[in-house]
Amino acid sequence: MKTSRLVLAGTLLALVLGGFVALFASSSPDGLESVMLEGCRTDAEGEISGGECTLQQAGEHEIGGPLADYGIASVGSETLGGSLAGIIGVLLVLGLATGLFRLLARGRGAGTESRGE
Amino acid sequence: MSELALHIPNGIIGIPTSLVFGLIAAIAVGVCVVASRRVLDERFVPLAGLATAFVFAAQMLNFPVAAGVSGHLVGGALAAALLGPWLGVLCVTVVVAVQALLFADGGVTALGLNVVNMAVIATFAAYGVIVLALKLLPRTRATLTFAVFAASVVSVLAAAAGFVLQFALGGEGPAQSLGEVTAAIMSVHVLIGVGEGVITAAAVVAVALARPDLVYALKGARIAQTLHAKETV
Repeated sequence: MKTSRLVLAGTLLALVLGGFVALFASSSPDGLESVMLEGCRTDAEGEISGGECTLQQAGEHEIGGPLADYGIASVGSETLGGSLAGIIGVLLVLGLATGLFRLLARGRGAGTESRGE
Repeated sequence: MSELALHIPNGIIGIPTSLVFGLIAAIAVGVCVVASRRVLDERFVPLAGLATAFVFAAQMLNFPVAAGVSGHLVGGALAAALLGPWLGVLCVTVVVAVQALLFADGGVTALGLNVVNMAVIATFAAYGVIVLALKLLPRTRATLTFAVFAASVVSVLAAAAGFVLQFALGGEGPAQSLGEVTAAIMSVHVLIGVGEGVITAAAVVAVALARPDLVYALKGARIAQTLHAKETV
């Protein structure tokens, strides 16, 4: 398989995973969270409703932001917001990582194969 | 619904410990930047970028591991197998940083803690297991499957052990004893590690069948050379 085709297929697959399959992911607390919740009771929303546990020490996130918790608050539908957040995230990470790695690769050697950008 | 995932939120580990691990993370990432420069070729960049996007997407997919408990891919083993240890650490670091800064997943104060656990410890532990297995066993598809599976389990447990160490050094709050936390964390992460192993082994073997030259761990050679050889044919 050619590299360009592999990258294209892989990108599409990542978009499907982040933008669609992720909607069906388990919403139960994960390994670390469940251990830190031991001793606490949680309500139907998963919020702590009583008891004493490590997770109560956790502060509000320092930034939060429009994409907090893999959703988009301004989008009415939670499903659509979650899907869009996943797609934005995948494209953003793809762009950021590719850009950073390109800088790294450029720094190598004395620009033997420099291409204009 | 809080989505904390495997990521440590702020406030769980004290500030001094968080700062020390922030420094350790910065040094480790710096070393990986320098080392990556020597192996990274521009032609390999799109694939490294793709692998990073993949790890980000995969981390969103929480799978159930027990009643009311889920787990998700860490990605250290996938990064180590495909990209090697140096670039692999950078790959997972980018993911963890984006999650903390844009998706409120993992505290910003806890970024150093999370980078050390998930990027540095998990990736290097996985790479060590893969290299060892490929050295000791014949280089067959079965060996690769086993090596990547074992590396995934070890990497997740090693990352969890990193959290236990951080919790022992700077854990806030008397709610749980260290012994309880250690036992609970390690046992649940065995299950998560098995899930990670199944997914990662399937992914790496699929890439290895399609394009073995793109699996860093298979050649143990420089990514640049192997890719050049393939593309100039």
